[in-house]
Amino acid sequence: MMSSKLFTPSDKSLKIPARLDQLWRASAFVGDMAAVAGFQGVQLNQIELAVDEACCNIVQHAYAHRPNGEIDIRVQAERGRRIVITLVDTGEPFDPQAVPVHDPATSPDDLKSGGLGLFLIRRIMDDVQFEFNLPGLGLNQPKRFNRLTMIKYL
Amino acid sequence: MISSLSVISQRIEGQSTTVLKLAGRLDATTVSQLERVLTDAQLLGDRVIVIDLSQLNYVSSSGLRVLLTGRSNARKRGGEIFLCSLRPPVREVFEMVGFTAVFTIFDTCEQAMEAAAAASGGG
Repeated sequence: MMSSKLFTPSDKSLKIPARLDQLWRASAFVGDMAAVAGFQGVQLNQIELAVDEACCNIVQHAYAHRPNGEIDIRVQAERGRRIVITLVDTGEPFDPQAVPVHDPATSPDDLKSGGLGLFLIRRIMDDVQFEFNLPGLGLNQPKRFNRLTMIKYL
Repeated sequence: MISSLSVISQRIEGQSTTVLKLAGRLDATTVSQLERVLTDAQLLGDRVIVIDLSQLNYVSSSGLRVLLTGRSNARKRGGEIFLCSLRPPVREVFEMVGFTAVFTIFDTCEQAMEAAAAASGGG
């Protein structure tokens, strides 16, 4: 029988300026939490890659016209079970349906470069959910925000 | 883990070949460095570009996009990009997106250089 400690969640958050030169902080933070959950090796690298791709999308698309945006990163590490990563931004809503779908089976000369980041996120994580234009919850909260939730199971 | 990339570029005289040696991380922060040297090599008219990835630890979709564009530009001019010595974390990403079937990839850079010499007619 597994000890109850095994499933004790560890919950932490980090806020970073939405700039490309800050994304390493997001990846490192989530990587540390993923290690707490029990991920290692290739899976650990891949989770960091998924976070890098997701944050990069936020910087380059959601905040394309807003240089002072921020990304809120919340991570719940459930040891021996899974990691839940939530990214919140207040930039422009982004429609994942509008992004071209990368298909690895496409002939090399017909391959387009769009959609690679989203493809990697979906390929690496077990559950990916985009929510846009959600209403803010309090007086000091932004009126609207976007939320990306990514879950990976061990 | 602050992102950094080193790109060393070397032209092989008489072979219309440029060798690029990448070290570090190829991501959205660093990708413009590779973009610049790839463009330079192609403007010089080099038909074959060998990219040594033996010291590259990380690649994101931003890096993959520039490599794909570089390949496309090279092929429009009858040239080619050869990749060699991919480390496991980088190879893993190439496999996920299907790029192992898109690029000509050699296990060693010696093999890539032999293929470059044959392709450029210099060896």
